[in-house]
Amino acid sequence: MMRHFRELSVAGVLVLMLAALAVFAPAFFQPQPLLSLLTREAPALLVACGIAIVIIGRQIDISVGSLFAVCSVGAGLLAAEGWPPLLVLPATMLLGALLGAVNGALVAGLGLPSIVVTLATMVTWREGLRWWRQGQFVDLPPDLQWFGLAQTSGQLVLVLSSVVMVALLAYALRRLAAGRFVYAVGADAEAARLAGIRPRLVTFLTFVALGGLTGLAAMMNLVQSPQVDPKTGTGLELKAIAAAVVGGVAISGGRGRLWGVLAGLLLLACIAPALTHLHVQAYWEKAIQGAVILLAVVGDGLRLRKERTG
Amino acid sequence: MKRILTLLLATGLLFAGCSKAPEASTAGASGTKKITVALLPKSKGNAYFISVKAGAEKAAQELGIDLLFDGPTDPDPARQNEIIENWIALGVDVIAAAAENRDGISTALRKAQQRGIKVITYDSDAAPDARTFFVNQATAEGIGQTLMDEAARLMGNAGEFAIITGSLTAANMNEWQKHIEARRASTYPNMKMVALRPCDDLKDKAQAEATALLSANPNLKLIMNICSPAVPGAAEAVKQAGKTGKVQVIGLGLPNENKRYVNEGVTESVILWKTEDLGSLAVRAAVALAKGELKPGDKTFAGGSLGQFEIQGDSILLGKPFIFNKSNINQFDF
Amino acid sequence: MKFRRAFLRHETLLAAVLLLEWFYFNSVGLRFGTLDNQFDILRHTVEIGLLALVMTPVILTGGIDLSVGSLLGLCAITFGKLWRDAGLPIPVAAACTLALGALAGLLNASLITRLRLPPLIVTLGTYSLFRGLAEAVTRGVDTFTNFSASFLFLGQERWLGLPAQAPLFILAATGMWLLVHRTTFGRSFRAIGFSPEGARYAGIPVERRLALAYVLAGVMAAAAAIIYTSRLGQARADAGTGYELFAITAVVLGGTSIFGGIGSIHGTLLGVAAIAVLNNGLVHARLPREAAGLLTGALLLLALSAEPLLQFFRARRAASSSKSTALTPANPAPPPPS
Repeated sequence: MMRHFRELSVAGVLVLMLAALAVFAPAFFQPQPLLSLLTREAPALLVACGIAIVIIGRQIDISVGSLFAVCSVGAGLLAAEGWPPLLVLPATMLLGALLGAVNGALVAGLGLPSIVVTLATMVTWREGLRWWRQGQFVDLPPDLQWFGLAQTSGQLVLVLSSVVMVALLAYALRRLAAGRFVYAVGADAEAARLAGIRPRLVTFLTFVALGGLTGLAAMMNLVQSPQVDPKTGTGLELKAIAAAVVGGVAISGGRGRLWGVLAGLLLLACIAPALTHLHVQAYWEKAIQGAVILLAVVGDGLRLRKERTG
Repeated sequence: MKRILTLLLATGLLFAGCSKAPEASTAGASGTKKITVALLPKSKGNAYFISVKAGAEKAAQELGIDLLFDGPTDPDPARQNEIIENWIALGVDVIAAAAENRDGISTALRKAQQRGIKVITYDSDAAPDARTFFVNQATAEGIGQTLMDEAARLMGNAGEFAIITGSLTAANMNEWQKHIEARRASTYPNMKMVALRPCDDLKDKAQAEATALLSANPNLKLIMNICSPAVPGAAEAVKQAGKTGKVQVIGLGLPNENKRYVNEGVTESVILWKTEDLGSLAVRAAVALAKGELKPGDKTFAGGSLGQFEIQGDSILLGKPFIFNKSNINQFDF
Repeated sequence: MKFRRAFLRHETLLAAVLLLEWFYFNSVGLRFGTLDNQFDILRHTVEIGLLALVMTPVILTGGIDLSVGSLLGLCAITFGKLWRDAGLPIPVAAACTLALGALAGLLNASLITRLRLPPLIVTLGTYSLFRGLAEAVTRGVDTFTNFSASFLFLGQERWLGLPAQAPLFILAATGMWLLVHRTTFGRSFRAIGFSPEGARYAGIPVERRLALAYVLAGVMAAAAAIIYTSRLGQARADAGTGYELFAITAVVLGGTSIFGGIGSIHGTLLGVAAIAVLNNGLVHARLPREAAGLLTGALLLLALSAEPLLQFFRARRAASSSKSTALTPANPAPPPPS
């Protein structure tokens, strides 16, 4: 029970919020809008899980928003060139993985601090993209939306595939040796090295994985509308990091569960629509979001403090 | 090692210092002949100002002048001032600015005037004493009224509507909103604004916000979008919610981004002026002012290939906002 | 001593880059080198410079403060509100604003020290919270303007030939330099950055020192808010958006290790200057704004990788020279900063 305190408490808060919505704004639970909400958050979920893996490995990546934008525009241009969606998808993931590899190489290869490396790449990719595209929308071919499926089935496919993806990642992270290496490196890189793990390789691969996931997420976002906004993904890094941390991933590495991240993301993602449904004015939204992040970590902090002192 | 580095640096510096000097002087010589116009957008990377820039570039080529186009990458009054002051130091001839913030920018513009640089504003005005002319595409009041009238026409003067804005702090959008509300209160008391949501100038966020608005407000009849990325975002949300025709979408936006939705009947109308003409007119007025062809007190301005423009006081009027709808949107490409 | 040499070298390199930048822009931009332009650069840099100055001790302790930009916005509108709506005279309003800044810093500090929460998370939360409060209080719309000329003097006029805010900045920079480099406070910041537990055993009041760093950051964000308001002649809830990233970039560019323990105020000042000159110079070189972001990113990566790369080569040279000349002991490369 205590071992999963944070995850459980976040899930608890989420359930409370949903219960409150059920009482005060039952309209929130109409199936179609709810499915739309989940579909819109599916890409962010993948990115948040990718970031969680990087954080568990004791690094951080704040460039994902820019990476997401580069992948979106890249995928959009390929699709507009007439590439079939089945080729665009792996190409986008490859692009994401390559960009992630740049971060990974600088962090793992040269031993540079990840927060600064990704700060630099965040600015570089974002400004480079703006310079190149000048903010112009990319028009997508009509058959790309929902991968050519009907809307509802397309949405279901996206939501289910993201859930399956997260489940697979969670399984790999806990049950496969490669996943446990990430925890080992995050908890203590030197001990991991002595145990025969190559910490640098693991770190590099977590960044590549995050890049690939971001590419996939960009693709999943892309098929939800017929145009690409090159500013897309602005602020995604903060949302993903907040979701991971609220969901119980320790920023000091070595600790965290992906189902916690799922709960954290759902909690954060529900705030804005919940406020809309409760007819609360938008002016308070950012303050409430900040308060939720703080409350989530303060609860845990208080509990640990009690453990320390008592 | 250290000594070698120092030596390298020193020679590098010397080299940089010497080799560039002649180039700089030739640039100066040609610079005295050509007029340099500096055009400041509210922010770059925004489809609206890209279109303004396109018009400005055409005019600059036609008139044979140097055009500088630069601005903050995100709307930021502090950065705008910084760029203007850089231009003052650079010694441009005319500055044409779209003010992100009226009071913030006026200080910098006054300073430019003191240094003998001519100043006009376009798109959104600064304080009157900080510029000679304002190229006025449509007043905030005109925009607010046009939007509200169009909404009223589509909703039959009654019912609920919601507004999606760029950010809660954007000065111009707040100004429009004020006039929208004023028009609603005075002319359409049976209409009700149920929500105002920010979309951070992101299409994807606007889509999410619109989806929530639609399910939270079952009686919603219209979504009014006052920032350009929100119009296609809201339209996509309405389409996906299967409410095409039941909930109307209108807003301020560019034809190209919205053509598809207007043709499908999701978006009823998009309101905007001809942005390329705005850029072109701003450059033409700036050049005329620098050459002394345009003086305070003039009643008309000959905008070359654009035709004649009326001047009201110190506002050069571009004309009324234009309503793009199914009948005409396919003729435009910007 | 070796450490000292290592980061002195970083600062020398950075100074060289700064000079190169300056001479390059001076050669392409006709008016870049004028005194007026230097003052412009200074004027535009003061707020971010102040934030970078106080970010240095925070990062020295191994922490980070993402909330300073948002706090700048909150302080700016508080200042405006106190002056316009509460009718307080400017100095009183300014004092109250500084107090608010201190209070906000204290909030960060107590969450970080009392609950031992990671600074990144705490300030990520307050980053949203402070900006959100600013928006909620003003409803986004309210803008405070029409300040008196005597107040605007601070941000817009010259005093003794210098931009009026420059003496304040110089004062703050000197103060911070003395604090970090000439007092035991500075040493304790570094000690905490190297090892909080070790610092505790060495008798350093870790909690109080940490709290000092974050409270200072809050106060300085408030001071920056007042100067910002005066420079623009207006206060609005979006003031200072994104400034935290500029400040962090400048600090890291200046050679302060993000892991804490290593760094200097003069390095930070050089970092601030390098970014400011780049931003200004690119306009004179008639390059678009996006180039500034791109080059800042590149510069940051370069500055970071210069150190490990230099060390790598130095180590190799040392290895080869120790083989050839066995009599002279090789000067071993300093260990990496973390």
